[in-house]
Amino acid sequence: MASWTILLDGGRIPDRAVIGGKAWSIARMAALGLDVPPAFVISTKACLAYLENGDFPAGLVEEVEQGIIWLEDRAGRGFGAGDKRLLLSVRSGAAISMPGMMDTVLNLGIDDAGEASLASETGLPDFARDTHRRFLELYSAIVLKAPVELERDGDPAHWRAVIADAGGEAPGDVRSQLLGAIRAVFESWNTRRARRYREHNNIPHDMGTAVTVQAMVFGNLDEHSGTGVLFSRNPLAGEPVPYGEYLPRAQGEDVVSGKFTPLSLDAMRDHAPRAHGELLAASELLERENGDVQDIEFTVQSGRLYLLQSRSAKRAPAAAVRIAVDMVAEGRIDPETALSRVSAEQVATLLLPRLAGGAADGAEIVAQGEGACPGVASGVLVADADEAERRAAAGEAVILVRATTSPDDVHGMIAAKGVVTEQGGSTSHAAVVSRALGRPCVVGVGVGAVARAGQVVTIDGAAGKVYAGALPTERPREADDAQLARLIEWARARSAVKVVLPEDAPAGEGIDVDLLLSEGSLEGLDDALAGQVSVRGSGLANPEIARAARRAGVMTMITEPVLPALLVTLES
Amino acid sequence: MNDRDLVFHATAIKRHAPSAAIAALAGLPEDVARAELEAAVAAGRVFEAKGAYALTPLAGVALQARYARHFAALRGDAGFVGAYEGFERINVTLKQIITDWQTLDVGGAKIANDHRDKAHDAAVIDRLGGLHEQAEPILTRLSGKLPRLRYYADKLLAALEASEDGDHEWVSDIRRDSYHTVWFELHEELLRIMGREREE
Repeated sequence: MASWTILLDGGRIPDRAVIGGKAWSIARMAALGLDVPPAFVISTKACLAYLENGDFPAGLVEEVEQGIIWLEDRAGRGFGAGDKRLLLSVRSGAAISMPGMMDTVLNLGIDDAGEASLASETGLPDFARDTHRRFLELYSAIVLKAPVELERDGDPAHWRAVIADAGGEAPGDVRSQLLGAIRAVFESWNTRRARRYREHNNIPHDMGTAVTVQAMVFGNLDEHSGTGVLFSRNPLAGEPVPYGEYLPRAQGEDVVSGKFTPLSLDAMRDHAPRAHGELLAASELLERENGDVQDIEFTVQSGRLYLLQSRSAKRAPAAAVRIAVDMVAEGRIDPETALSRVSAEQVATLLLPRLAGGAADGAEIVAQGEGACPGVASGVLVADADEAERRAAAGEAVILVRATTSPDDVHGMIAAKGVVTEQGGSTSHAAVVSRALGRPCVVGVGVGAVARAGQVVTIDGAAGKVYAGALPTERPREADDAQLARLIEWARARSAVKVVLPEDAPAGEGIDVDLLLSEGSLEGLDDALAGQVSVRGSGLANPEIARAARRAGVMTMITEPVLPALLVTLES
Repeated sequence: MNDRDLVFHATAIKRHAPSAAIAALAGLPEDVARAELEAAVAAGRVFEAKGAYALTPLAGVALQARYARHFAALRGDAGFVGAYEGFERINVTLKQIITDWQTLDVGGAKIANDHRDKAHDAAVIDRLGGLHEQAEPILTRLSGKLPRLRYYADKLLAALEASEDGDHEWVSDIRRDSYHTVWFELHEELLRIMGREREE
């Protein structure tokens, strides 16, 4: 009877504290009858025993060996042997996810002979070589703590020499690699960052981490293989229709690399009909079980569907609202849950001013680039940060335009309504600073924009467009939106604080938060609001300011829109 | 560099900052920095508004011209240049981390991070911690050649730890010495030392 390891065979679901969060979610999917790549887990108890002794406890190595035999049998592949190689992913998994812990090592089990087997099995020698390289890079960075960048056109002997120069040594034999990775997971429990995190969050140091050892599946094995992601509903607009993409003959990393053009889910149906049907059924099952929209990673290997991960999906503001309201109508969640799934910030984003309908039709586009921070702003283009600051202080609406920005320009960015740069992409200084400030920003419009200084423009930071002239904008009305109206109704029924429109409040009631802000600062707001029963002002539509009012214990907020403030009053 | 140029240099990097912040970056006692600043204001080389200082354009250009002399030794020092190139390599990762902090990838589209997904935020701060571990040996090599640069290592660690402790404004807030703010000041400092132009 195993005592240090547990096979995740779809039987009972072991305690999360013993097997960690990652293994727990694999066990849960397996228990629902879904196909996940075979996996076993080394328990948190084994980690604690290791940390106490400084070495593997008696019997652990033998149990890991038995686990490997079980995986070989399940996968029909050999670990470090044979012409169909078993490759593994090895991951840490505490019951609570924690910073500073060892990350995942993929493709463990590949060596020179394994690379040759993989090349002949897939008919893709370049892929086999790259798989080997990725493994060595991950192993040296994560296990050996000697990060190296290995050249793509190198060979394994050269790569090993590079790793040796960096002070590491990647074991040639796959079993030593596996034990090295397990050791690294155990030891990562005591990194500076993990310890610090536990101390700060009152998490005991004696919980330990589990190690999940899972067979890799090959989405690039043959014509009937592929990989993809599926959302159980559209995460951008929220329609209750599965949304996703499929990359035939590819592995998970290829999805993010952008090297391949993914297919739609409909095209997947033609390509892998059985897997497609199973995937949609799994999506429905997981959404129902978890009561929330799911983001599912999957791989198809020779026509067979494997689920790699399922979690609650991130969603755009419009989708958050629609999904929450739809799920109540479908009887999947109650209104409380729906309200908890929509943030005040998301609603505030939906209600930002936008170009008025038709305003952009026929407007001249003077520059076009990458939208780096959404929002719409109009103003005169100013090419110098000092000048932007001076003219903004004098009450002018300015848009700062620069070739690139540096810390030298930050005061101008703060003063401007928006930012445009000629060079740079979504990670440029201008993009990063604009997002931190919430300023609409368009980057990488190309040479010539700075020369337009003096021209009045309107920038659309979502679409990445710069229009000539000041175009009309409009502010969406929350009451006109049936879904937002539903949320308002539910929130009002549950909030202890009254949030009302200015026209529904007695004139003159409430201290004016806009006035306080114009005279003081956000930092001073808490003191100014202390003891107030009633507050008013458009500033309360900003969630941070509504939170300050809530902290002060006010009982009535008078503002428009009401929903962001209402959601703030319901935050736990 | 003499005290005056150190103060000018720090003022150039920390635009519109009070004297205490300028003194800290310059590695000088605050009264020394303040005296230099006041003299510079009187001479028309620095302007002051609401207790914050900035170089006049001409003083900025003159300072740039003196860098070649001040930093000639460092520009020719293989150890320093190697460490600088290491910084430029990981700078790419830093910018990606900050971008991932500010945005969420939703079905292939980028939306603003409203910091509701605690797991996402924790994972990004974890990556920032991993990057910091790569940055530490580089910072040690840089400050081995120019001890004043230790300032950045201390500031970065303080911002990282404040972020790790849950005060998320310390990741990229523009109005404080957040990780991103200090990192970009360091980048600016290194560009000035090396006499290079910023590239995006």
